[in-house]
Amino acid sequence: MFNIAITGEFAAFFVFSAIMIGGAVLMISLDKVVHMVISMAAVFLGLAGMFVLLEAEFVAFVQVLIYAGAVSILMIFGIMMTKHQAVEREPAKPLHETLAAVGALCLFGVLFFAIRTTTFPEPQPFQPGEDNTMAIGELLYTGYVIPFELLSVLLTVAFIGAIVLAKKEADE
Amino acid sequence: MDRYTQAAWLIPLFPLAAFLVLTALGRNYRRAGVFIGSFGSLVAFLLSLLIVIDRLGANEVDYNYSFDWIVIGDYTLRIGFEVTNLTALMLAVVTLVSFLINVYSAGYMKNDERITVFYGYVALFTFSMLGLVLSDNLLSLYIFWELVGVCSFLLIGFWFTLPKARAAAKKAFIVTRIGDAGLLLAILLLFWYMPDHALDFTTIQSVFDGQSGAITNGITTLIALLIFLGAAGKSGQFPLHVWLPDAMEGPTPISALIHAATMVAAGVFLIARTFDIFQDSAAAMETVAYVGGFTALFAATIALAQNDIKRILAYSTVSQLGYMMMALGLGSLTGGIFHLFTHAFFKALLFLGAGSIIHAVHTQNINEMGGLGSKMRVTAWTFAIGSLALSGIPPLSGFWSKDLILTIAWETNPLLFIAGLAAAFCTALYMTRMFFLVFMGKPGAASSSAHESPASMTLPMVLLAVLAVASGFVETPWNSSFGSWIHDGSEEAHSSGVAIVGSIAASFLGIYIGWLVYGKRSVSRTAFQERTPWLVKLLERSYYVDELYAAIIVKPLKLLGSSLMVIDAYVIGGIVRLTGAAASCAGRAAARLQNGQVQAYGLAAVIGFVILVAAIVGRRFLP
Amino acid sequence: MLPSYLTMAAILFCIGLYGALVKRNAVVVLLSLELMLNAVNLNLVAFSKYGVVPSLTGQIFSLFTITVAAAEAAIGVAILIALFRLRGTVNVDEFDKMRR
Repeated sequence: MFNIAITGEFAAFFVFSAIMIGGAVLMISLDKVVHMVISMAAVFLGLAGMFVLLEAEFVAFVQVLIYAGAVSILMIFGIMMTKHQAVEREPAKPLHETLAAVGALCLFGVLFFAIRTTTFPEPQPFQPGEDNTMAIGELLYTGYVIPFELLSVLLTVAFIGAIVLAKKEADE
Repeated sequence: MDRYTQAAWLIPLFPLAAFLVLTALGRNYRRAGVFIGSFGSLVAFLLSLLIVIDRLGANEVDYNYSFDWIVIGDYTLRIGFEVTNLTALMLAVVTLVSFLINVYSAGYMKNDERITVFYGYVALFTFSMLGLVLSDNLLSLYIFWELVGVCSFLLIGFWFTLPKARAAAKKAFIVTRIGDAGLLLAILLLFWYMPDHALDFTTIQSVFDGQSGAITNGITTLIALLIFLGAAGKSGQFPLHVWLPDAMEGPTPISALIHAATMVAAGVFLIARTFDIFQDSAAAMETVAYVGGFTALFAATIALAQNDIKRILAYSTVSQLGYMMMALGLGSLTGGIFHLFTHAFFKALLFLGAGSIIHAVHTQNINEMGGLGSKMRVTAWTFAIGSLALSGIPPLSGFWSKDLILTIAWETNPLLFIAGLAAAFCTALYMTRMFFLVFMGKPGAASSSAHESPASMTLPMVLLAVLAVASGFVETPWNSSFGSWIHDGSEEAHSSGVAIVGSIAASFLGIYIGWLVYGKRSVSRTAFQERTPWLVKLLERSYYVDELYAAIIVKPLKLLGSSLMVIDAYVIGGIVRLTGAAASCAGRAAARLQNGQVQAYGLAAVIGFVILVAAIVGRRFLP
Repeated sequence: MLPSYLTMAAILFCIGLYGALVKRNAVVVLLSLELMLNAVNLNLVAFSKYGVVPSLTGQIFSLFTITVAAAEAAIGVAILIALFRLRGTVNVDEFDKMRR
């Protein structure tokens, strides 16, 4: 796995993964919540770059738009509306944290082991088409139109629900 | 005319039925107890008498009826009953004495609240003893042997509210248990070595008689010694004699029935039944003879210094049983059985007389009695007859049986002859002492309110006195009809002038000295005590045997018991408590998981998932 | 190349899992949840290019997951705001009504 030629793709992959991992680690280790959100945004951006590497431009675009844009702002709004302590000063729960770390590490170990021992078949060449957006659009509205419609219903329900949940109680 | 013999199996059933009825009736039917108990034993006695009469002719065949009881593979255990002349004799003796005791207890136990229970136990004992006598194999004999021990325990501890009675009952049971263990080992050995694993007496007789070499001499000796151990336990031979004097805590009719006439005779009976095994082993015979002779002298000397009327009689019983064992050990079945026969009557008589005295003066210390002869005539006369019979004065029965034993001793083992003579002297002496202190002289502290006992108590005594006089004539040195009858063959009579003269001389000497000291008072009572106080103390405390046992056996056992108790409380109890604490700790630890926090639950889910996956993946690597 | 992308996704997922289990503030927990979902998206898109039969299905699937994740984030924040109004805190340790 490690005998890969240093190509441009590999260098780009390396940079983006560094950004992502750095952002994720920072997220769980920083003190202030707002800083955490910022590092998350960095992760989202790195991920977008990865998608470009994977020849999924439209997904990368959507990722930046929705995650780095909307979701991060949503989290900041959430933080603002719930008067938090500016700094996360939490009483340490060493047992809980250690166990969680151990569990996460073990899970990673299992996944890593699975990945390493699987023999992936030689991939056939990938034909993304000329225009990724057009290809996705065609596929979406022909083959996957029913999930698409369902998803729109879901979104409608979600935003109605969010409004109902978050509005102030009517003074009765 | 075999038909009564065939019905012999009915004999134990009457007392058994009496026991069941009395147990069902409970404590309220006091008069019923008397009648049902007496009726049961009376019917049994009449039937036994008919069987004895049946078999009085010469050369009667032994009757045996048995059926297959347990079949295991190719081994069959048969069980049934057997009527030989010996068995018939024992049946008659046991049922007669039992009947007389039933009648006597009507008067003696009249004011006792639990009289129905008493009669129930007596009936159960009679049943067990009769079953023991009628058994045709060692295993069923052992079953009844144990049952007899249980009845003895129940009856000794009849007044269980008294701590002494409880202790005596336990002691009796435990000491005889030691003997019973020996008997059980003997049965196991016989089971192992006998051809076909047969345990019935007929087969034992045929295997050991003539000794075809089927069983080696060493094993035979071992078996015989183990059987003797069992007999020594039940019959109170040294060193297992310690329970008999303490057993006097029970009611006096019980002492008469069990510890004079019947149960203690079971040991002698056992040896008589398995006599062929003993005859095969010279070493075992010698052991039996010497132990018997030693016990006879040993117990007689102790009785000289006792002050409790029943204890004197108890040690006297031990001594006389020693005579019986000595006779058996010297090779004379007739001697042992004949003495058993006569002893049953005069010892029961003496105990009943003692009971009559105790009933009248409410004390058991002979030093507090005196001058009762004038107030209790019947008791005094019958007691005198019993004492003379025990001392061996001709022509009473005791003389003939004791003389037979001494004759055999003179012929085979002069050392034991001397011991027997010395014991006879002591016997005469202590009986005379007791008689004079109780019945003659000035009235003692307790004698003022004495009066004769009711007829229910005196009639059995009179009957036994008649038997004590008459029963000796069946076997004289010139006419051995009893011996022949027991042996199913002819037996020559033994007679020896030295023995006759010696035994008469010893008895008269004993009576004379007793009269000098206690009757005429020409020699001071305390003369002996002043010169050798240590000797008197030694005899009084029965050679400190009880103290010795307490120090050597009882104390270490109690120590072991308390240390085991400590182990039980702390080690085993600790383990139990530990298990409980562990369970509750585990519970408390698990409860901490239920803290209502989603993150904790999520963590548990992740850990569980990881373990599950690891387990499934890890199976790949297991060899 | 595929194993590297998959490993990358695994790392992100585990970090997100740790954050979801350990963080005290509910908003941060939601954030970690988003991280986990992103890791899944990376997996999907990687398989769409390097999988057994490469096609655009993986990308479309990831579009769907992005949508659902966004909806869920919105609802989550709305619930948190409502809870905050009720309880006055967003510390997840305080939400233990399910205890016993």
